[in-house]
Amino acid sequence: MPSEQRLHPASLVFDLARHARNLALPAVLLIFGISGSGGGPGGMFGGIPEGWEAWLLVLFVPAAALSVSRYLTFRLRYNERELVIRWGLLFRHERHVPYARIQNVDAVQNVVHRLFSVVDVRVETGGGEEEEARLSVLPRAAFDEIRSRVFSSRHAHPGDPGHVEPPDHAVPAADLVPPVHPVLLHLNLRELLLFGFIQNKGMVVIGAAFGVGWETGLLDRLTGRYFADGSLGRGFFRDLFRAVFGDGPQPVASLWMALAGIVTFLVVVRIVSMGWALVRLYDFRLTRVNEDLRTEYGLITRVSATVPIRRVQTISIRTSLLHRWLDRASVRVETAGGAGDGSTAHMREWLAPLIRVEALPQLLEQVLPGFDYGAVTWQGVHPRAFRRAMKPVLIVLTVLTSLLAMASGWAALGVLSVLLPWLTLSTRKHVQHLGWVAGEEVVMMKSGWLWRQVTVARINKIQAVSMHQSPFDRRAAMARVRVDTARAGEFSHRVDIPYLDRHVAQRLADRLSTAAANTAFRW
Amino acid sequence: MSDIADGQDHQLDPRVIPLHQVTSSISLVVIACVSFAGLLIGMLAGDSRTGAFRIGLLLLWTVLVGLGAWHAFRWPALAYARTFYRVDEQGIEIRRGVYWRVVINVPKSRVQHIDVTQGPIDRRFELGTLVVHTAGTDHAKVALDGLEHGRALAIREHLLPSGAGDAV
Repeated sequence: MPSEQRLHPASLVFDLARHARNLALPAVLLIFGISGSGGGPGGMFGGIPEGWEAWLLVLFVPAAALSVSRYLTFRLRYNERELVIRWGLLFRHERHVPYARIQNVDAVQNVVHRLFSVVDVRVETGGGEEEEARLSVLPRAAFDEIRSRVFSSRHAHPGDPGHVEPPDHAVPAADLVPPVHPVLLHLNLRELLLFGFIQNKGMVVIGAAFGVGWETGLLDRLTGRYFADGSLGRGFFRDLFRAVFGDGPQPVASLWMALAGIVTFLVVVRIVSMGWALVRLYDFRLTRVNEDLRTEYGLITRVSATVPIRRVQTISIRTSLLHRWLDRASVRVETAGGAGDGSTAHMREWLAPLIRVEALPQLLEQVLPGFDYGAVTWQGVHPRAFRRAMKPVLIVLTVLTSLLAMASGWAALGVLSVLLPWLTLSTRKHVQHLGWVAGEEVVMMKSGWLWRQVTVARINKIQAVSMHQSPFDRRAAMARVRVDTARAGEFSHRVDIPYLDRHVAQRLADRLSTAAANTAFRW
Repeated sequence: MSDIADGQDHQLDPRVIPLHQVTSSISLVVIACVSFAGLLIGMLAGDSRTGAFRIGLLLLWTVLVGLGAWHAFRWPALAYARTFYRVDEQGIEIRRGVYWRVVINVPKSRVQHIDVTQGPIDRRFELGTLVVHTAGTDHAKVALDGLEHGRALAIREHLLPSGAGDAV
């Protein structure tokens, strides 16, 4: 085995292609802008200087030179305890990433990558906003080697990173990882389609397509061709609205047509979403390799992600109304690694995009040994929580209605008569569905009425515990307990339990912080 | 070190009250000057407004600045009366908030690193700010200002992991 690994020669191709693409998009838009706007020579950009292609080249050449120098100088080395990468011609960089600090190792392989049989590898640790090492691109075998070195060396002495045996250089990578691992979850075609149906990502895809069509002027040409006669032109809905609320005869045929159109649109959105799920998560499988969870998925772009089980900070289980009707749930895990809200990281964190509710305890048991999700007994919040929760709602509503009344008179009462019952109902349901559990190993919290979420945080991953009391809480002798874990996403569901009795909250906060203090935190 | 980790609730150094009065007054003066200048320019440039409107605006400005001054003068004492901290073997607990109260508990084993900072005005009052960094999200940075500088340093020494084996 060579002691130093270089990038695959195809790296150059990918890097150059990336720069070309970055520059090509503005260029293409520019060209379309010129031809599409048709405002005489120069188009909407009002006269682009002659020879602008040369200007693009000016930007492209230094980028390409950087790529070449990076390719030529990039070296990857495995030390006893760390991954060492070196790059740079003028400014030399050397980065040491200890195996023990690596949070996860991801690989992405799109169609072109597969052609060269290479992968785009990302190595993440807990620090920083970006991945610690982006190895773009490596031969497939090298990725397997990284993965086995990083994870096997750690498993040899999981408790003590100070005494890691040097990995045996003579053993080929393939032998380190036994080929058969238990598959914890595999999504077949039906589950994938169901996932797409529930997730409803169709709008995103259609939106993107619409954007591209509009930007390139394709859309105008299409609508011009099909709706040129004006039978179903832009004013269709406007005319319909006028007809329905006007005095003339009711346009029944048009109404049906509009309804059919809307229904068709909704159906199409769901179907597109199912297609999206099929492409994105095709052949999703979750396997357990020693102490790591490994997910692999994708039809065109194949993604392979490895998350060490002990690096899992929180687990969250989501169920929407559709999930519950179909008896399914979605499970994701959060780790401290990487960029947090990036879309690839977001996708990677699916532990189970869709799983039958019966299989849930079994899956969670794999991640949290000894944890029985089925046997959890939830505790509710304070019996007077509803009264407490309604107070701020009523105050806001009163202010809102009075402001509205000043502006538009009695119409404000109409708004109030709709909002008040709805807010009362949703507050009531919200309070009813709040629940929490504090066990030996984990602290859990559930919330949500239509969209329910359960978050499980491990006690040894708690960073800080805080107790909050607003003036409302103080009047009602209540408090809120919040558990802070590493690098939770901006909008992710947290363990944040409101409306607890003050003494209960105090005891809970004390217990959690004591338990956290007595365990060593290991990322 | 042991006298720092006594498990007792402590208040901040009382000198934090004049310190905060000084710092809030400085920011108030800056805001008042800038907003007054803006008001003046607006009045000189805009000519369509009536005199009553101008006087109203000036009155509003005076009232707001007065409220600000009252806040700058009174608030530090209120905040001081409601801020406590406790250091023990487990870690540090900070309680504060006049209307919205918070108790933050950071275990010693979760401390990543600690800063003790001291600005120019802090130095005049011999005070410092202790900033405890954790790997968390909301409380990635827990700051406690208004400690006597030497005490802040002692708390830092206590909270920092002593053995090399404690490293994350």
